[in-house]
Amino acid sequence: MSAIVEFLVRLAVWLLLAPLLPGLINKVKAWVAGRRGPPVLQLYYDLARLWRKGVVLSTLASPGFVVGPAVAWVAVLGAALLLPLGPLGISLSFRGDVILLVYLLALARFCTTWAALETGSAFEGMGAAREVSYAVLTEAAVITAVLALSLRSGSVELGTMLASSAGTGSVLLAAGLFTVLLAENCRVPFDDPNTHLELTMIHEVMVLDHSGPPLAVVLHGAAMKLLLFAVLLVEAVLPFGEWSGLGGAVALIGGVALVGVGVGLVESWLARYAFKRVPLLLTTAFLLCLFALLVAWKGGWS
Amino acid sequence: MTLGGWIALALALLLGGGLAGLRLPRVWLGCTLGGTVALLVAAFTTLGVGVDWVWQSPWSLGGERVHLRLDGISAWFLTLVAVVGGTGAVYARGYWPDQAQPESAGRGRAWWSVLVLCMALVLLCSNGLHFLMAWEAFALAGFFLITLDRARRETRAAGWLYLGASHAGTLGLFAFFSMLAARTGSWELGPMRSATELAPLFWVALFGFGVKAGLFPLHIWLPSAHTNAPSHVSAILSGVAIKMGLYGLVRFSGWLPLPKGAGWVVLGLGVASALMGAAFALAQNDLKRLLAYCSVENMGVILIGLGAGLLGLADGGASWGRMAMAAALLHAWNHGLFKSLLFLGAGSVLHATGTREMSRLGGLWRAMPWTAGLFAFGAVAICALPPLNGFVSEWLLYLGLFESAAGHAPVAIVAAIIALGVTGALALAAFVKAGAVVFLGAGRTRATRDAHECGWWMRGSMLALAGLCALIGVMPLAPWFFITRSLASWEPGWSGIESPPPLATLGLLHLAVALAFVLAALALWRRAQAKGIRRELTWDCGYSAPSARMQYTGGSFAAIASGWFRWVLRPERQMRRPRGLFPAQSSRVERVPETVLERVLGPAGGVVMAASAWVRQRQRGHLPDYILYLVAGLVAVGALVLAGSWR
Repeated sequence: MSAIVEFLVRLAVWLLLAPLLPGLINKVKAWVAGRRGPPVLQLYYDLARLWRKGVVLSTLASPGFVVGPAVAWVAVLGAALLLPLGPLGISLSFRGDVILLVYLLALARFCTTWAALETGSAFEGMGAAREVSYAVLTEAAVITAVLALSLRSGSVELGTMLASSAGTGSVLLAAGLFTVLLAENCRVPFDDPNTHLELTMIHEVMVLDHSGPPLAVVLHGAAMKLLLFAVLLVEAVLPFGEWSGLGGAVALIGGVALVGVGVGLVESWLARYAFKRVPLLLTTAFLLCLFALLVAWKGGWS
Repeated sequence: MTLGGWIALALALLLGGGLAGLRLPRVWLGCTLGGTVALLVAAFTTLGVGVDWVWQSPWSLGGERVHLRLDGISAWFLTLVAVVGGTGAVYARGYWPDQAQPESAGRGRAWWSVLVLCMALVLLCSNGLHFLMAWEAFALAGFFLITLDRARRETRAAGWLYLGASHAGTLGLFAFFSMLAARTGSWELGPMRSATELAPLFWVALFGFGVKAGLFPLHIWLPSAHTNAPSHVSAILSGVAIKMGLYGLVRFSGWLPLPKGAGWVVLGLGVASALMGAAFALAQNDLKRLLAYCSVENMGVILIGLGAGLLGLADGGASWGRMAMAAALLHAWNHGLFKSLLFLGAGSVLHATGTREMSRLGGLWRAMPWTAGLFAFGAVAICALPPLNGFVSEWLLYLGLFESAAGHAPVAIVAAIIALGVTGALALAAFVKAGAVVFLGAGRTRATRDAHECGWWMRGSMLALAGLCALIGVMPLAPWFFITRSLASWEPGWSGIESPPPLATLGLLHLAVALAFVLAALALWRRAQAKGIRRELTWDCGYSAPSARMQYTGGSFAAIASGWFRWVLRPERQMRRPRGLFPAQSSRVERVPETVLERVLGPAGGVVMAASAWVRQRQRGHLPDYILYLVAGLVAVGALVLAGSWR
């Protein structure tokens, strides 16, 4: 019985709290720019509004155009449910769950890009091409980060990998994972979620033709993915295995909020990079993770 | 019926199929299907019960007694031969019928049965001499199947290239088996791990079998052969025939002692094949060529597993070695299934539109919804995405490699893990490109206008393969049971160790996730319908007259990532820019050559040819010339003798 309650709590955290993070980021950006900005709960209003709206489909789109976002959303949710959640711990731990997480995110990418190409628009094509190409580099960085964590903890289970304490290498790992977070969630400096120029976007241009409930699912999925990467980053760096109960919860919430503020500050201070420089930045993220791996390997974690 | 009875029945039926194929298509289909089912029964009996079957003939063939043996390893590969052999035969009934191909349909049927028969014999033969005979017959059957449509020049060229490369590999195998026979004194094959002086022979075998397996620098024949063959033939060549090379490697790494560093070399070859295969696949514009390069990639993934398995054998890492080896075997199955599915899907596109050129296609989902759905299914499977079978084997491989890295983390293992991740992302890009450019959006040329869905013969065989992919995805424990049997005959020392990976959990999760996918998709579709769906033009940022030519093409989709591999892809571009006020003609042609063949082997062959031509010119029939050559030769020999006596 308690397992079911715990699962429901976990589900509720991911489903209900995820849209908060983009709101926080927008608030930080507004604050730095000296504006009042949209309310923190703006995304909730948007989602509710979209869910009630009708759908406009491209004449070219097949049913896959609606199936794609649904499958991608479930895949991201499934990946999120695999993560330990601070004091709640992990619901289902097994050897190799971290690889399932990485590949569920890849499945989400497959479905998003597939649905984007349904419309036959060059804009969506551009976005999808960028998404799958940059993913090659982020995938390398993520796998390297996972390998670093796995070497440090001697385990391939998320519960154990994310429980152990921080050390010198975690600074490198945090920097690498933060860059990956920015790239995977299409934030500045990789992509500008606020731009009005479709030519220069990645994620937003892929979902240009979505509307109504499917768009709500896409937006909610994107928010969950952002929260997922934030939680992963915080838990990879902080020793959650040593904290329990309230302390762990506060640390997790504080850490995720800090990541959100960080994203907001980066967006306020940096401009979007030219696409030519994006691979360079992603390679840097990969190298950061690789150095973290070297530190973990040579026993530098203390 | 006994195991021997089933095998005899299978071989007899396949032989009958080979004879009946020319004239009697129904009898042929019955014989081939019956034969493959009998093969399946025999293979699963061996895998399930764990009893080997050995048979020796009282008579001799070529001075040696025929020695057949069915054990865990051969049974594992035999299942693949049977499944793809059977489904491909059903597909061929709709794809290459007498009505459409009156000249070659009969030949195609006959050679198909012969190919399946010969592959089964390769797997069964346990005598070096007969192994070589079966191997050669199998290669020849492949040649005749590739060149079924021999009116086309490209097909003939691809066939000759296949034949040449295949014989280069066979030459290596001749050397391998004859040296083996010379050192052991017998052509009989069997476990001989203790004879350490045989270890260097592994390198010869690696070359010989590596050519067939399509490993990276030896893969030159693979893309053109698999592209130009009829699609059901491409399916069995890509899905099964290259696995015969893998079978050789697995078989002889299990029987022979291994030289030092064998694991590293195999692992390195695997990494190179995986990365290069994926990069080349991404850059292709021909649908079947893309699939062919992807086979190189998947063989690389399998070889990474085999290499890690060999390392585990050498270093005493039984737990992770076993996992990596199991991943290699399972991926061989999986790749056989989904690659056949994809080639059959590509075949039905080719059948419906008459072109493999992706930039001429598009929007086919409307005319061919079954093919589009099944191709997308195969694409998800081959990208190793959950919840399908490709993920199960890659997951096992990651587990084995991670565990090995946690043990002592050699640089190569770490590099292999990262390369595997990059390969996965590249493969995903390649298959989103292939599926989307062919099936989604609007039709780009007239070729797509008359497209039609394939018939039930073709659809049924694709559905069967897709069903098997899904089955392994949600029930990964079932193949694991057979893998343990198979591994027990590869390395008997490992059979006692039992630390099964959590495949049951993974299977349950896959099932749950798959159900959630279906439910979520249905719910979202219902919600959209409830709120009303309106069909409009694609938005295209306000442009109101988008045309099919404005869509992103495969080349532009892959441009970013394949640009990173320009150093090896070396694309050739021919551009005629539009000029003047009313530009009449402009064009841009881009081609990705097969780099190893055209940039390395081609020039090297050119040098050899030039040298030969020079030598031939010196032979003009002038007596004084020959006297001069004789004198020069004598002087050279004299100089050599003098140089020798001084020392």
